[in-house]
Amino acid sequence: MVKASLFLAAAFVVTPALALWPQPRNLQTGSSALKLASSFHITTTIHNAPKDLHDAISRTSSFLKTDKLGRLVVGRGSSDAAVVSRARALPSLTLSLSKGAKINSIAAEAHKALDSRDEAYMLHVPADGSGATMTANTTLGLFRGLTTFSQMWYAYGGDTYTIDAPWIIQDSPAYPYRGLMLDTARNFFPVTDIKRMLDVMSWVKMSVFHWHVVDSQSFPLEVPGFTNISTLGAYSPSSIYSASDVADIMNYAGARGIDVIMEIDTPGHTAIIHEAFPEHVACPEAAPWATFANEPPAGQLRFALPDTAKFTADLLAAAAKMSPSKYFSTGGDELNTPCYDQDVPTQQQLQATGQTLFEALSNFTATTHGALAAQGKTPVVWEEMALDYNVTTLSNETLVMVWISSENVAAVAQKGFKVVHAASDYFYLDCGAGEWIGADPNANSWCDPFKSWQKSYTFNPTANLTEAEAALIQGGEHLLWTEQSGPENVDPIVWPRAASSAELFWSGPGGNGSMALPRLHDVAYRMRARGVNAIQLQPEWCALRPGKCDLTS
Amino acid sequence: MTRILALFLAVSLTVAPASAVWPLPQSFQTGSSALRLSPRFDIQLSVNHASQDLRDAVSRTKFHLKNDKLGRLVVGRGSSDEQAVASAPTLALLTLSLTGPGSESIATEAQKLLGERDEAYALSIPSDGSTATITANSTLGLYRGLTTFEQLWYHYNGHTYTIQAPIEVEDFPAYPYRGLMLDTARNYFPVDDIKRTLDAMSMVKINTFHWHVVDSQSFPLQIPGFENISAAGAYASSSVYSAANVRDIVSYAGARGIDVIMEIDTPGHTSVISKAYPEHIACPESTPWATYANEPPAGQLRFVQPETAEFAANLLGAAAALTSSAYFNTGGDELNTACYEQDEPTTAILNQTGLTLYDALDNFTATTHKRLIDSGKTPIVWEEMVLNYNVTSLSNETLVLVWISSNNVAAVAQKGYKLIHAASDYFYLDCGAGAWVGDFPQGNSWCDPFKSWQKSYTFDPVSGLTETEKTLVQGGQHLLWTEQSGPENLDSIVWPRAASSAELFWSGPGGNVSAALPRLHNVAYRMRTRGVKAISLQPEWCAIRPGVCDLTA
Repeated sequence: MVKASLFLAAAFVVTPALALWPQPRNLQTGSSALKLASSFHITTTIHNAPKDLHDAISRTSSFLKTDKLGRLVVGRGSSDAAVVSRARALPSLTLSLSKGAKINSIAAEAHKALDSRDEAYMLHVPADGSGATMTANTTLGLFRGLTTFSQMWYAYGGDTYTIDAPWIIQDSPAYPYRGLMLDTARNFFPVTDIKRMLDVMSWVKMSVFHWHVVDSQSFPLEVPGFTNISTLGAYSPSSIYSASDVADIMNYAGARGIDVIMEIDTPGHTAIIHEAFPEHVACPEAAPWATFANEPPAGQLRFALPDTAKFTADLLAAAAKMSPSKYFSTGGDELNTPCYDQDVPTQQQLQATGQTLFEALSNFTATTHGALAAQGKTPVVWEEMALDYNVTTLSNETLVMVWISSENVAAVAQKGFKVVHAASDYFYLDCGAGEWIGADPNANSWCDPFKSWQKSYTFNPTANLTEAEAALIQGGEHLLWTEQSGPENVDPIVWPRAASSAELFWSGPGGNGSMALPRLHDVAYRMRARGVNAIQLQPEWCALRPGKCDLTS
Repeated sequence: MTRILALFLAVSLTVAPASAVWPLPQSFQTGSSALRLSPRFDIQLSVNHASQDLRDAVSRTKFHLKNDKLGRLVVGRGSSDEQAVASAPTLALLTLSLTGPGSESIATEAQKLLGERDEAYALSIPSDGSTATITANSTLGLYRGLTTFEQLWYHYNGHTYTIQAPIEVEDFPAYPYRGLMLDTARNYFPVDDIKRTLDAMSMVKINTFHWHVVDSQSFPLQIPGFENISAAGAYASSSVYSAANVRDIVSYAGARGIDVIMEIDTPGHTSVISKAYPEHIACPESTPWATYANEPPAGQLRFVQPETAEFAANLLGAAAALTSSAYFNTGGDELNTACYEQDEPTTAILNQTGLTLYDALDNFTATTHKRLIDSGKTPIVWEEMVLNYNVTSLSNETLVLVWISSNNVAAVAQKGYKLIHAASDYFYLDCGAGAWVGDFPQGNSWCDPFKSWQKSYTFDPVSGLTETEKTLVQGGQHLLWTEQSGPENLDSIVWPRAASSAELFWSGPGGNVSAALPRLHNVAYRMRTRGVKAISLQPEWCAIRPGVCDLTA
């Protein structure tokens, strides 16, 4: 009799859209209904399991109770009610580490070098009412598995259920770097907004928060030894990340499998430092700004001066000490040469030493990167440092972010650098929202059009690369520059769009956008259930009818 | 001595401060003296039998004056004002009085015909602390004056102050129709979101809420006598506006000087009615949808059938009875002829009667509009009814919304119809957010690019019109179609952008975007203090340095 009901389940369910995101790399599902027992619980066989794993288990248990997401079909699951009421009940999920595995915290695993991270896990959810099991080599892998588990369940009429049991999943990411960048300098974001973003990132298995924390407009970071920069350069005393805020963010991220890579962009994008250290900044707020910078205000570090190089190395080293990451980004984009052409101290120094501007930049970079290397940090830079400025002092380990155009990826790879995809033509979340510069009524955003999730989903991370060059790709990220963003629109501008690259770089390229859309609706609906203002990708009519709103349906 | 010095300082410290009033009053004279609100500040109504909604408006204004706590948008956020303000005279009283007879409620005034509304007011604030006054011919005018008064004040260190006293305002709108359209059918918006939107609209003196309440995707409106349409056609039983909800919204809007014009789009955009009345709908959910509709799902009223015309007239009549407005919108856009060509009931009648499709549309329109006119409502239609379908039965009083292109305005005016600007090339808030149709990775939004506030601000409402045609222009509106919107991004996609047309149609065209931007920042910051998630238009660095981020600054 029970068997008959399982058969019914199979008969009712015509290729339901599975809600997992990112798609596991090896996924087998059945067509039986299974519900969580009212006494369902998650246990672990790990002795002295780290606190962040226990906390992750608690959060997962809580989501299973509170998500209450109805299945995205007409009726929102009413058609499942009959089979679910008679379905077997899953009593438990048991987490284990493989034999001999070293027991580290999730955070410790997430902070390892990119190629040393192990995020793989196996998950088995039987259909017969016996307990589910999850195994991994690391607590980080178990955390990824918990994230998958929490996406498997729908709610209807008091039951939390799946109609796709049994589940057998073997999963691991295609790329180790799956990131999101947030600029907290153009406009400030309180710590709670950053934490909410970290939560959401973890739900789609992102592994890196690239924190573009300061820029020319404001310096909201309290760096020990350099606190006068934030005192004078933050938008207000309440718009500062204190050292303890930063530690809090690092802990919060680490516990969610996220490495925080902080960026202090140098030598450009530093106008605001002149408020505290005028001697180190050339062309501060020089006008017309368009001559001296890509956006207002102008102002860049006088990197040709040895004092400034030393100052910068000390600043970066002090900031890097705040982060447990193995990586630190020193920026290096959009250097403006007219600023230095008219800067007397710079010109005097270049003439005295007989150096070109870019030779001086190589020396500056050797100094600043040397200070990071002394702390065991690997530098991250923007593409111009590898492609445009002839910087000869970059270590081979340097990660290079390609942002100007995806067409520049091959050139970076040809130089042998490891690459992180961050191309504006695919991954810039701010594009397409109009011009923010004043008195320019007919202009559009410089990187028009809007980059839809569908666009970034089709990105090929290894286009035009040799096998050897393809091996240099570490992954990629979506990016939010915040000239027109703040806490008010951070959720809707980022989510669920940024989930697109999270799947691309976890599951690998080549995914079908039409198949992905119903799952991405699930992502957005579940985010909303958890209090995140992820936007509607389509009218709800479409969200409940997978495929019906495709272009040629 | 102290007082003279303080006033002198106030004058010398304040160089051309950006006034924060939006929309800019027709006549706005300011001084350069500091004046602060007394701790005992009060607003007195010198109006016989003042309506409850006027009393409520006074209470809200007093609340905002206490709670906005908006710092002036300059470096230091008002710290440079402190000395002058500390010793400034205090304003203890604002009195409101009517210059004419009778004191109807704000709502009653706001629901009059466009040509009969009186929103004019005069506001006087002496610099010496003596009583300030608002006078008007109507409670609606007094309400507009209160809205202006609220925008005059900044907050610093416990003081609520202006540095521009004395202030003399004589104000009235250039156009009677200043609207915002919200589509609640593609995705649903709870009543609270609509009320918050009405609050934000009233902050910038928008006076019309064009409520595109239903469409092909869902029918969230409970209409007495037609409850089965919403029962079968809403996304969920919780996603329905009950008759009580509608009354609540109409009354909330009216108290804020806003007329709610409901639209039930006919005969297209009606697919979902097939769930309750299949006999009245041609090509319901026909595929491929692109053949039968501009977006999925296909489905239109069989307007050729006399019984469908009667059904539509009854439906519109019952819906119109829910609102207090003198207007009702019957839609009329995007009629798809392929749908009717394959609809046997339609073609049978056309063959039998010898009518063309558009002859029949004329008859249908005569029937539905007669029902509205008989109940005292003036019909509103989209431009195709006038320009494309050769509908000859429209009354001369019909208002026509021009949406396809601003280039079509002159053609509508030449036909002698009153018109409302709603052109997609200036006022569509959804443009530029990528394609929402599935399986279309390279697609952009059909009306790319994004329409920035600067773009809509530069619109000329009378471009290409003769003097006579110009008098037909009633005003205009921003519009939000919600294929990619919901409560999650409602605030951030609308505000402060839609304030741009609010000023255009109140203050009149020709405003300078560079001068407007600092005031628009004020609008956005003040909205945020009131819990509306208006976005940052620029980095805060720019917002507190008026003009410095202009294109050629």
